[in-house]
Amino acid sequence: MSRLDPRGVPLGPVPARAGIGLRSVHHDAIATRPPVGWLEAHSENYFHDGGTAVRALERARANYPLSLHGVGLALGSADGIDREHLARIKRAIQRFEPALVSEHACWGHAGGEHFNDLLPLPFTDEAVEWLAAQVREAQDFLGRQLLIENVSAYVAFEHSHLTEWEFLGAVVERAGCGLLLDVNNVYVSARNLGLDARAFIDGVPAAEVGEIHLAGHAVHDGVLIDDHGSRVCDDVWDLYSYAISRLGPRPTLIEWDTDVPTLDTLVAEAARADRVLREVRGLAA
Amino acid sequence: MASLRELQHSFAAALRDPAASCAVRPAARLELYRLNASANFRGALALTFPVLLRRVGADYFTQLAHFYRERFPSRSGDLHWAGRDFPDFLAAHLAGGDYAWLADLARLEWARQASAVEAVTAPVGAEVLAAFAPEQLDRLQFTLQPSLRLVDSPFPVFTVWLANQGENAPPADQSVGPECGMTLARPDGVEVARLAPDLFSYLSALAGGATLGDAVTRAALDGPRLTQVLAHSFGEQLVTDVVAAPAC
Repeated sequence: MSRLDPRGVPLGPVPARAGIGLRSVHHDAIATRPPVGWLEAHSENYFHDGGTAVRALERARANYPLSLHGVGLALGSADGIDREHLARIKRAIQRFEPALVSEHACWGHAGGEHFNDLLPLPFTDEAVEWLAAQVREAQDFLGRQLLIENVSAYVAFEHSHLTEWEFLGAVVERAGCGLLLDVNNVYVSARNLGLDARAFIDGVPAAEVGEIHLAGHAVHDGVLIDDHGSRVCDDVWDLYSYAISRLGPRPTLIEWDTDVPTLDTLVAEAARADRVLREVRGLAA
Repeated sequence: MASLRELQHSFAAALRDPAASCAVRPAARLELYRLNASANFRGALALTFPVLLRRVGADYFTQLAHFYRERFPSRSGDLHWAGRDFPDFLAAHLAGGDYAWLADLARLEWARQASAVEAVTAPVGAEVLAAFAPEQLDRLQFTLQPSLRLVDSPFPVFTVWLANQGENAPPADQSVGPECGMTLARPDGVEVARLAPDLFSYLSALAGGATLGDAVTRAALDGPRLTQVLAHSFGEQLVTDVVAAPAC
């Protein structure tokens, strides 16, 4: 049983168990309190004063630890941080008191135009310094440590002279942030760009990994597309087991954003991740 | 070596124009990012303007979204705001044609979207009026629900919107004529409702900060009708506060 504050809000960290993303089609069903360890919600869906989404998260928040996961801040954008967006994240944090707050190691806007996508960064020293500075600025403003997630990629910059794991490790070290390791993204990028997925897992700073993401992807013309629209594939489950064996148990999210299935299907995927986490604990015991 | 800023701006240019060069490999896969950005934007519009999508069909909606994005690209990392200029874009794009009314349908759907994310504030009842002296009544100022949005159109957009809440809606009947109404957040969702023209004028005046006396004049309400309109305003929980403006 989670410890509760006087309002009934679960306090303390997100447990090293499997959680699921809260999606609007499950706003009612989540009230049945399915057996998942925690919930993650997209920060941008809760930027407003009212609405059914806000009320649903307030209800769900009373029963589960929460992670707020942003998809729009794009901290690696060379044009700088959108301060209004950042302020909205801060208000959401104050309102929902999440145990984890995360963003992506990506860029997303240039010249005032937002592409509303998680665009890849060049893995250069300049990008390390820039992203780390932006993460520090965001953390200072939010008063919270951020977890920064590796994104899936279809292309690589010719200018990159670091590996992605070296890049992420350097950003984490300079910014004092944590890492959200998306194992599906590791797999997608590795397959698309000819990288060694296990070397990626081996190369990230293990102690700084605060959360793991798992998701499904699609395959079109030989390219893996990170669409979060299906079950986690067997190869990614294998990579996840490898990651957990290297990192130890970590809070693990089942992400499913398109063609969202029934809550039962999500809970079953989470149960599979929990089995992996239990197996690793068993081996360590 | 190109700076981070230069690399991102060249990537952005290549997203806008497939002919632009960008130092990534394999460059052909930039098309995936072009498609993602376009699909995410179109998807956000589809969530905000579901009845417009239903009326024009997926293909034409995609075309409209494409032209709109060229003219009004996303300016926020939060796609909730992507449709803000869509009604104005449609008004210009469709002006003078048979589909000009779709701009007002979009205006109604944007109003609904705006209502949907506002808080529902505790209402006050008509009994608050008893606290004021009779000579103060003309000077009363009403605060209305923050989610209240008022929409009027020379076209029957409310009828069309309400008729299109399910599949296989009938064709839009333009003979119904002008309509006005409101969108309003309720605890269980957003209410979309037609309003009588005088009630619409009265609420529009109050929402614009007019005193009760001015609102009654602008809406041309006689005594019995004012009683009805006040009863409606309080009964429908539209009013959240009433104060008396200082006497001149």
